[in-house]
Amino acid sequence: MIKLITAILTALTTGAIYALMSTALVLVWRSTRIINFAQAGQAVLSTYIGYEITVRTGSFWIGVVAAMIFGALLGAVIDRFFMRPIFKRIQSGPILMIAPVVATLGLLGIIQSIIGFKWGLTYQSLAAPVSTDGYTVLNRVIAFSPFNLLVVVFATVSMLLLTLLFQKTNIGLALRASAHSPEIARLSGIKVDFIRTLGWALAGAAGGLAGMLYIPSSYLYPNAMDVLLVFGFVAAVIGGLESLFGAVAGAMILGFAISFATSYVSEKLVFPMAFIMLIVVLLIKPAGIFSSKKIRKD
Amino acid sequence: MIKNTRMKRFSIVSAVVAIGAMVITALPAQAAEPGLTSKEIKLGISTPLTGTAALSYGKVPGAMKAYFDFINANGGVYGRKIKLVVRDDKYLPTLAATQTTNLILKDRVFALVAALGTATHSKAYAAASLATKKVPDLFVNTGFSGFGNQTKYPTTFTVLPSYAMEAKIISKFVKDKFPGQAVALVAQDDEFGVDGVNGFAAGSLTLASKTLYPQGAMTDARAKALVTGLSAIPGKPVVILFGTTDVTALIFKAAESLNLVSKFTWIAGSVGGDANTLLALGVKPTTIDGAIAASFFPDAKDTTDEYVKVFSKINAKYNPGVSFDNVVLQGMNSAMLTVQALRAAGKNLTRAGLIKAIENKGSKFASAGLVPLNYSATSHIGYNGYWMGQLNAKGELKPYGGTLSVVTTDSTTGPITPSTYKRLSIPTNGIPTNS
Amino acid sequence: MKKLSSAKKRTLFFIAIGWALLLIGDRIGELRQYQGSFVAMYGLAIASIILLTGYSGQLSLGHSALMAVGAYAGALSINNLHLHPVIALVIATFVAGLFGLLLGFGVARLSGPYLAGTTLALAVSLPTLANQFPILGGEQGVVFDVGLPPARFGENFSQYKWFFWISTLAVLLMLWLISNVLSSRYGRTFRAIRDNETAAALAGLNTGRLKVLAFAISSGMAGLAGGLLVMLISGVSPSAFPLSLSFSLLTGAVVTGIYSLRGVMLGGLVLVAIPEIADSLVTRIGGSEGFTATLPGFLVSALLILAVLFAPNGPGTLLHSFKKHS
Repeated sequence: MIKLITAILTALTTGAIYALMSTALVLVWRSTRIINFAQAGQAVLSTYIGYEITVRTGSFWIGVVAAMIFGALLGAVIDRFFMRPIFKRIQSGPILMIAPVVATLGLLGIIQSIIGFKWGLTYQSLAAPVSTDGYTVLNRVIAFSPFNLLVVVFATVSMLLLTLLFQKTNIGLALRASAHSPEIARLSGIKVDFIRTLGWALAGAAGGLAGMLYIPSSYLYPNAMDVLLVFGFVAAVIGGLESLFGAVAGAMILGFAISFATSYVSEKLVFPMAFIMLIVVLLIKPAGIFSSKKIRKD
Repeated sequence: MIKNTRMKRFSIVSAVVAIGAMVITALPAQAAEPGLTSKEIKLGISTPLTGTAALSYGKVPGAMKAYFDFINANGGVYGRKIKLVVRDDKYLPTLAATQTTNLILKDRVFALVAALGTATHSKAYAAASLATKKVPDLFVNTGFSGFGNQTKYPTTFTVLPSYAMEAKIISKFVKDKFPGQAVALVAQDDEFGVDGVNGFAAGSLTLASKTLYPQGAMTDARAKALVTGLSAIPGKPVVILFGTTDVTALIFKAAESLNLVSKFTWIAGSVGGDANTLLALGVKPTTIDGAIAASFFPDAKDTTDEYVKVFSKINAKYNPGVSFDNVVLQGMNSAMLTVQALRAAGKNLTRAGLIKAIENKGSKFASAGLVPLNYSATSHIGYNGYWMGQLNAKGELKPYGGTLSVVTTDSTTGPITPSTYKRLSIPTNGIPTNS
Repeated sequence: MKKLSSAKKRTLFFIAIGWALLLIGDRIGELRQYQGSFVAMYGLAIASIILLTGYSGQLSLGHSALMAVGAYAGALSINNLHLHPVIALVIATFVAGLFGLLLGFGVARLSGPYLAGTTLALAVSLPTLANQFPILGGEQGVVFDVGLPPARFGENFSQYKWFFWISTLAVLLMLWLISNVLSSRYGRTFRAIRDNETAAALAGLNTGRLKVLAFAISSGMAGLAGGLLVMLISGVSPSAFPLSLSFSLLTGAVVTGIYSLRGVMLGGLVLVAIPEIADSLVTRIGGSEGFTATLPGFLVSALLILAVLFAPNGPGTLLHSFKKHS
């Protein structure tokens, strides 16, 4: 019984973190059709900024705000001054798939080097803002702490806010329109370039938040979120890459699959489960669980 | 057709460019003893400087350089200054092979020191032809027992006791001190785990639970699930943690969160048991208080130890801003062994002479280790034992049960015997004068 | 008639290159021979990416895993079956090709990012499986010993020259085979699918089957490259095939230009030379330890970005379009 409960709680906390990362990836994918591998670097750099601010002000919350603002600015700058010039020069065809991968990986390397210059290669630890001691239920401490609750709540709230933004505001309409058909959006007077950049900025903020929520239960170092990026990407693909709901659902599916496989079969299954889940899901639905019926070719 | 000719022309151009570049930059002819002049001895190290592994071991080259700088400032080795060429292998086998080849063929170092890692260095050793070129491969930083095999690695000298020795010694310790308690092993699923599991089997320790986790996959949520699972074992189980310090810290923190610290007797392996690092990673002092760890060195916090005292002084002067811990101690110690080896080889230094010198005199070198060095013509194995200690809340490692008891063994089925080794005192001011 | 003569010319051309390389192999030092072998190996691996992406429009982030499959197959053939290294390399090619074929059946119908995600997951999970099977040797892995050069080549024939010979000959042979495939019917159909899959399907091509075929061929090439890689580092280990290897190959492919195999050796050269250049630059500049440790990574990344920024379609295309205009 306790094993089952622990597996579920582990899945939930892990899934929430994957969800923040997969959301960031989906935001960029929707707005520019790029798998942004630099996301791991952007998120970690934003977290370093948040960490510095937290240390200086003594407040984790000011740190979170700083990380999100910095993340948003960094995302916008990368799109405006980096991705856009590249895309102007690229012809159509397969190079459109591969060049962004290489470009964002190069960016990841640069960001991680910058972190190395500035903060060096050591683990830093960031204290959680609330207790990490597990709740006691029926005289038993469970694998779920106030901090875990906070992570889940924050992930849920930010998801809800993003959904509201997309569904209920004009900006959201513009974001959706530019994602689906940039040309028509442009013709109907939407500033597509601005909207693209906004997508990157939102993703950057989500990444900053993900970092600030993840690092207290891990450590801060340049490669801190590399593995998370892999799982976030897998989750996004499982969810179909197009919808925020899909990103969250994909993250939860992956979180549960890994948690149950490692708890009940073997700890060694962490990485293989990601592959198994992808194959299973994509064999049934080649464009992810929450794709529309028509498979997108782009 | 036209396209085809163009294609060929381009291929030829690119091939010529590629090869031209290689030919132009080809190197001058070989000197008699590479890396050696009347003023300088060039040594090389291939080790991770960037990437995740550098977080734990990145301090090694800096510590060694600091000690060499200190020796250079005090006259060097028979007037020759030691230069350490550092190459980053990111803990990847391919890079270790190419960087070590670079050290030999491009930097033309005289000898290699303190290469790190099993998968990395075993590839590098063969790829860089260290055996056929007879390049001394001093004091490799890994607990893989295979490097002690002189047929396969004729020029290699190990320094760390092997993981297998450690597992055997911990096995005996647990059987002696905690009879009847269930034992759980949590190990990283690579050389630690494989060598460790074999060692525990050789020490005939029955494991109630064995968890091997892949490198880079341990998170705080997984650690909590793991500790919860282990808490189902009745009694006060002994948990042996055989992995890197970051994971040891995650597991300790998970136990804190679950209020299960006192449910277990904790034993941390020598690789993941550095108390300073654990505390820096946010583990509570009360958690490590009482945890058991294996070590072959004095405690890096023990300022009454003469080696620690001298090394931390050198570290403060020549390696400013870097805190003194077990890794720095290990780097400095290997550097001091290197200097003694170079001195022992005499003024007329050769590669073969250096190897002979360690074989003949290496077991008499002064070193910080509390266990003996076993160098001889038939053994290239360095330290071969451990002492078991208990951490206190300040992170100091004190001998378990109050009295220091050092034991030695081998990597296979040999017995575990109490050691009578008396450590040599450190050369005056830390400057070796041996010959 | 015409076709035959172009195939013959191609063969002659490859023989000429091979001959030139062997001559060059005699005139360069051991380090250059070793680096040259890496250039050839990376060139082949890059060619496998180009075949897959540039010719059949599929994106793989998992070629490090396919290389690992070939590498383990090769190492086990030598170590456990005691086969000749050359046969081991052939086995490496075929086992990886077969693996790619099976994988291709599962994934070839996936489009861009979905295929990328699946292959990425493969790249991170496959190496971790190596520790599950004792025959694969865990973290230490399995030795891949190509053996000493044959005695008839003489005393002065070094190990590195032997590496250079084997790598360059294996790679040239493979590239010759592939260039023949690409100038055949298959090559044209691959390109047709890449350019417009719907039109190709309408024209009666079995696009699914052809994509699987491209995946299998590409895997076979990657498998041979993997076998050569572990020959050069003298053994196979799971950590020899990190995700970053996959990414380096993509980088090499972009630098080369993904629409043709013309410049693959240039891509291989870039992968070998740029880290070297960065290292030696840093040694010259000097500075604090943290700085010198971090700078090479920074330089390599910066050069990548510049390459994508200024020649996103590869220098080959740049040259090509320049010629077209002049």
